[in-house]
Amino acid sequence: MRTALFGRHLVASLVMLVVVTVALGFGYPLVVTGLSQLFFHRQANGSLIYRNGKLAGSELLGQEFLDRRGNPLPQYFQPRPSAAGAGYDGSSSGASNLGPSNPLLIGFVAGVNTVGLDGQPSATNPFATAADPACVPLDTAKTPVISPAPGQKYARAAGGSYVCDPNTIPERAIAYRAFNGLPANATVPADAVTVSGSGLDPDISVQNALGQAPRVARARHLPAATVIALVHHYTQGREWGFLGEPTVNVLELNLALDGQS
Amino acid sequence: MTISGWEQLLFIAAVTAVAAPLLGRYLAATFRGGRAPGDRVFLPVERLVYRVLGVDPESSWTWRSYALAVLAFGLVGTLLLYAILRLQGVLPGNPTHAPGMPPLLSFNTAISFITGTNWQVYEGETQASYLAGTAGLVVAQFTAAGVGLAVALAVVRGIAGPMGNTARTVGNFWSDLTRSLVRVFVPLSILGALVMVSQGAVQNLSGFRTAATLAGGTQKIPGGLVASMEAIKLLGTNGGSYYGTGGAHPFENPTPFTNIFDLLFVIVLPFAIIVMFGRLIGRPRQGYAIIAVMAIIFVAHTVVSMQAEHHGNHLLPASVSQVASGVSPGGNMEGKETRFGPEASALMTVGTMGTTAGATDSALDSYTPVGGTGAFAGILLGEISPGGDGGGLYSILVLALLAVFVAGLMVGRTPEFLGKKIRAPQMKLVVTYVLTIPVTVLIFASISLVIPAGLAAILNPGLHGLSEVTYAYASVANNNGSAFAGLAANTAWYDTTLGLTMLIGRFGPIVLSLAVAGSLAGARVHARTRATLDTAGPTFAAFLLGVIVIVGGLIYFPMLILGPIGERIVG
Repeated sequence: MRTALFGRHLVASLVMLVVVTVALGFGYPLVVTGLSQLFFHRQANGSLIYRNGKLAGSELLGQEFLDRRGNPLPQYFQPRPSAAGAGYDGSSSGASNLGPSNPLLIGFVAGVNTVGLDGQPSATNPFATAADPACVPLDTAKTPVISPAPGQKYARAAGGSYVCDPNTIPERAIAYRAFNGLPANATVPADAVTVSGSGLDPDISVQNALGQAPRVARARHLPAATVIALVHHYTQGREWGFLGEPTVNVLELNLALDGQS
Repeated sequence: MTISGWEQLLFIAAVTAVAAPLLGRYLAATFRGGRAPGDRVFLPVERLVYRVLGVDPESSWTWRSYALAVLAFGLVGTLLLYAILRLQGVLPGNPTHAPGMPPLLSFNTAISFITGTNWQVYEGETQASYLAGTAGLVVAQFTAAGVGLAVALAVVRGIAGPMGNTARTVGNFWSDLTRSLVRVFVPLSILGALVMVSQGAVQNLSGFRTAATLAGGTQKIPGGLVASMEAIKLLGTNGGSYYGTGGAHPFENPTPFTNIFDLLFVIVLPFAIIVMFGRLIGRPRQGYAIIAVMAIIFVAHTVVSMQAEHHGNHLLPASVSQVASGVSPGGNMEGKETRFGPEASALMTVGTMGTTAGATDSALDSYTPVGGTGAFAGILLGEISPGGDGGGLYSILVLALLAVFVAGLMVGRTPEFLGKKIRAPQMKLVVTYVLTIPVTVLIFASISLVIPAGLAAILNPGLHGLSEVTYAYASVANNNGSAFAGLAANTAWYDTTLGLTMLIGRFGPIVLSLAVAGSLAGARVHARTRATLDTAGPTFAAFLLGVIVIVGGLIYFPMLILGPIGERIVG
């Protein structure tokens, strides 16, 4: 009796699934696509930006501004670090997923996560360098080492000091200051040294943009005031005055710069 | 928290306070039986469905028959989705050339979507075809939402139904499912999807386009049927995203407005379902008492996370500025988008943790220990703030039965809920219900922490790694599906055990709550006297809150001490 009932339910389930697959699997998305393409054509297709008739990117997706060797171009505002593929890969959105105490993120912080050369917990960081007391060393294959073992080989700089993993927040802060010609004790905005949730964040903070403006101005032989004015022009305030955060869209700002010079 | 953080929270509260009662009134009119709003449009569609199915929508079933139908529908749905995922490589509608999914991944993904969990260990951009996305995953998202609401309706009919229902029936699954889809989920999803597209969410069939970037490189720009999936992902408290990073992806969640809209699109309906409950049983105050409990838990776990993320990661060097100001969001920005900042990110991500959506707009694995505890709390208290569509209602009703039982023990009276006596048969089912999920979570998580196959998948060292594993099982057992995503969970061990956990976590509570409802269907309703415990007043609401916190706390506190709390203290 109950088996027969279950059998009847199975048959009805199968019919129901065919019905909903047709109605909701095909009908529903096609209705939404049709209406979207009709009324919101630009948005539905990715808010694309064209330059000289060629697709240059999307207003909503960040992109890289690197030279062929992978170094940041000083004449462009630089986006945040990215964990999408090799960086701003639109086919592979991704975050670092590094936890807040992971040495790969914060470096070896004395008294928190530092380990000795033998891999045992240690009060100090044996890999500390003059520039970076939180240095996480690289092995000879350029892979960061967070669980050292006796006999481990490390990459060494010319002076014999350890070569640090460039992707920790302290190292990124050092690189940001060097690239932008800031003094060694200058504070760096958090968004400039952290990876976004999607790896495709199109924006940077206003503070980050202003920190980069003098360097961009120097590289483009423009007065700093011109570039700073442009940053303010492209600053998007909080939506409705209280939603989210003020932002600067990097691609739009760089396009405007290219248009000026 | 900053002023704009509080403003966003208040905005959510204000919109929900207005929208949930309105929607709840509509739901009550729709599911009361008899004439309902929109009959002229919806009724012909429903009649067509019933004719194709060959079912009589007026017949009412016992809880056993209802549960068997839910199980049959789940079984057939899982098999069909499994087949689609395995075969997507050779099926049409595959412009991104996604290959067929391997067996264990298909097993895990099929169960994940049928149960409304939407735990995703495949990569949305490359591992799911357009056809599998829409004809498989989106269909599962609709039906999972419809099943949740249907079961809740049956449970309400049983627990609160009239005396003299001698056949002890709880309703008709096909009619409940069809009405939920036709009158609630489909129309609202179309509206929601269009709002999202208007803000920049994409909805096209273009596959990848290649852009020539300013610096002279190329960038692949993804396309897809994103907004239509996003709408039912949120409205159906599913949580499964088109792209790998979900609500953080600018093509899914382009602006701070969509961020808030998305959160509202998740939470308003579960709250409205509670309003509906109050109206259906003729005691709106009972609904609002439950809503008060849910809202307190929601605000508590959300505010804790918002504050923690605003405060930032104290382990960063002082030269990295985490101070929020008019020119910088500050705070813990690892894994967060600039346009949202830490507070709106925590509001959206942790806000949805009290529902079964678990939709995220930021990387939970990179949250501070305290911020992550907020997300844990939403899940571990059993997803009742405000819970999934329907799931929130039947879960909190079971907890309410537990609370009246405990209260009854204290005063020495036979406990009563909505006039019906709660006795040993009901309490056995309630206790089984309360224990099912924690026992599953703790056993699987413990095994994972000792076997190499479990340990190898952990990304972050130390106590944070323990959080990754326990969060995975807690999340899927409660059909939430959010992740501390560093865990490389696409392995034989995790695909299998997480898949089983999802099945237990979905169908265990459904069958048990239907059984409770069946045991109370048609039971005698006692007149209220001065000695009757008022279950709609503030005293009972506070008592229910206490029971929820104590039960959840006792079960999970050791795990939280070893995970996030330990991580915070050690660091």
